[in-house]
Amino acid sequence: MAANYWVSTQRRHWLFSREGLVDVREKLREKDKLSHTQFPLPDQRLLNIYFNQQLTKLGKRMSTRQQALATAQVYIKRFYTKNEIRHTNPYLVLSTAFYLACKMEECPQHIRFVVGEARGLWPGKSDVRITKRPVDFITSDVAKLGECEFALISEMNSQLIVHHPYRTLSELQPELSLTSDEVALAWSVINDHYLTDLPLLYPPHVIAVMAIIIAVVFKPSQTSFHGSGPPPLAGAMRDGAGMNILAALGEKGASGPPPRIQKLVGWIAESEVDIKAVIECTQELVSLYEVWEQYSEKTCKELIGRVVKSKNLDK
Amino acid sequence: MAVSPPSTMLSTIQSRDIPFQGSANARSPLTMTHADRELTEQLNDDVRRKYVKDKKLGEGTYAVVSLGYLKTDPSVFVAIKKIKVNAEYKDGLTMDAIREVKYLQELSHPNIIALHDVFSSKDQTLNLVLEYLPRGDLEMLIKDGNIQYGAADVKAWMGMLARGVWFCHENFVLHRDIKPNNLLIASDGEVKLADFGLARSFADPYLNMTHQVITRWYRPPELLYGARQYSGAVDVWSMGMVFAELLIRVPFVAGNSDLDQISKICEAFGTPTDDNWPGVSKLPNYFPPDRAHIIPLQGRDFFVRQFPTAGPVGADLLMSMCALDPRKRSTARQILSHSWWSTEPKPTKKEDLPKKAGGTKKMGDDMGRRVGQVDDGLFKNAARQLHF
Repeated sequence: MAANYWVSTQRRHWLFSREGLVDVREKLREKDKLSHTQFPLPDQRLLNIYFNQQLTKLGKRMSTRQQALATAQVYIKRFYTKNEIRHTNPYLVLSTAFYLACKMEECPQHIRFVVGEARGLWPGKSDVRITKRPVDFITSDVAKLGECEFALISEMNSQLIVHHPYRTLSELQPELSLTSDEVALAWSVINDHYLTDLPLLYPPHVIAVMAIIIAVVFKPSQTSFHGSGPPPLAGAMRDGAGMNILAALGEKGASGPPPRIQKLVGWIAESEVDIKAVIECTQELVSLYEVWEQYSEKTCKELIGRVVKSKNLDK
Repeated sequence: MAVSPPSTMLSTIQSRDIPFQGSANARSPLTMTHADRELTEQLNDDVRRKYVKDKKLGEGTYAVVSLGYLKTDPSVFVAIKKIKVNAEYKDGLTMDAIREVKYLQELSHPNIIALHDVFSSKDQTLNLVLEYLPRGDLEMLIKDGNIQYGAADVKAWMGMLARGVWFCHENFVLHRDIKPNNLLIASDGEVKLADFGLARSFADPYLNMTHQVITRWYRPPELLYGARQYSGAVDVWSMGMVFAELLIRVPFVAGNSDLDQISKICEAFGTPTDDNWPGVSKLPNYFPPDRAHIIPLQGRDFFVRQFPTAGPVGADLLMSMCALDPRKRSTARQILSHSWWSTEPKPTKKEDLPKKAGGTKKMGDDMGRRVGQVDDGLFKNAARQLHF
């Protein structure tokens, strides 16, 4: 993080209203209805899950910082508010966002290394039967990624600093005396919010507070997070008990919940955090976990592969 | 601000003009591409057309800087810094360029050079439209023997520098290349911190950063000793060196190698030991001093004697900026609340500060230079005179 969020380009230029975001996407669709009919793609969130998993794989192979992955995901979101995904090679956009985000988060990777890893990770050859020609999703020509970097920077109007909720979480840990389990859980909730539109809709501190509430209120038995399916949190959130507590957040001095939660509720009431926004974020996450059940890596891979191959976007 | 790449390169991310097999697609994908492009390209063109490029001001390894002006109002000048892109994007954009754009987009302060716009030109390069600062830099003033200046002027310049640095630190940005030729002067005399090619955010605790930053003469001892975790104190040291240089009009500690720099710092301020700087011996490149040559830490008297122009209060401020142990060094905020600013003489009004003509070429060269470099030839002689 650098500079001040309140005067940042993120707040001034990259914070959308819900309607605004719908509008932007609808306009993209209007421009090329045909592609939309010909190339159906899964729900945006499912695609995001796919992108996220691919990025994580790419990042793991190069031991990158979590924050760079987060920044890359925000770049991808911003880029696709201005560009129709069906006109792009998402694998190239992913690799480029990753490459640029690493530079931005001060953990740069060499361009050749990124290209090499991306080629290893996404060989296009398995799809020979569709196109009758062996092709790669990422060409070995590093200049392509360099060009795409330029395009990415341009599309984002050179506004590159992204403020993330992780720092707010670390700052609030002592103040709210969060346990390390709670912090870990809140951390993974923040990781999950990159699968939704939330980073384009709400400021990072609202997200952080939402993550803390979920961690403290729902406190699901934490097993392995991030498997192929939705995290165990999903079940805990769906059973509804927690939502009542959330509803109580709006009313000052709610009675009933255990003292630990009351303390948190008290703190939130005193802070000037937009409670309504926090609740909306929570709901967004709940619906993410619902959608997650339909996720199929194979479907995403096939549908994206079809777009790229059929339109020769891999060149 | 808008930048848009020229259409030639879009094929990578946009569709190619190859019809989709078996489709009755009447429009070629390329037309759609253009439709999509229109808005962003339009925006970029609007930005580009806002400015008219005039003569070249200077050139360096990293960028070409030209004078420009507003089409609608030719009396409003800007500097257009065109970043040279590596041939065919071989290695992507350099970290220098990325950092410069990254920070200048967010930081807005009277003592920091303003980035007005960014656009891309036909030959696929990034152009930064920067505030035009026609009066050269502090280095020019320091070295020009025809220019006389005094304590009040130094106070004014240092005040502007301190405010700029404070603002960076307040926003968690380290500049990491503060030196007189990165301090450019606006037509109204305001000093502006420029060249953010080495800047970065404060790292998270325990995360390492490089110690290969800051031009040698302005580099603090902790970096020379190879510290990988450091703070705003590195910029404060550089400010101290600029302060000293403004006062004596030659670089105060001008080593001709990193090792020489350390020994010159020791000669000037004292030898760092675990006594005066707990933990210094644990730094990677620290080497234990020769027992016979340990120089005791310099006290206030030294600074008062060495820098009479600053007066005792000014010498005290300088000393606080030159503490060897970065933890004992003043912070930018502490510097701003020092009593020197309110001690007589008052800082000169910026309009009345000494000035020099012909600064535009200098601005061009300053901005095109690769970061962390010093024009070696310029100070060669000065360095030789400096043996104390």
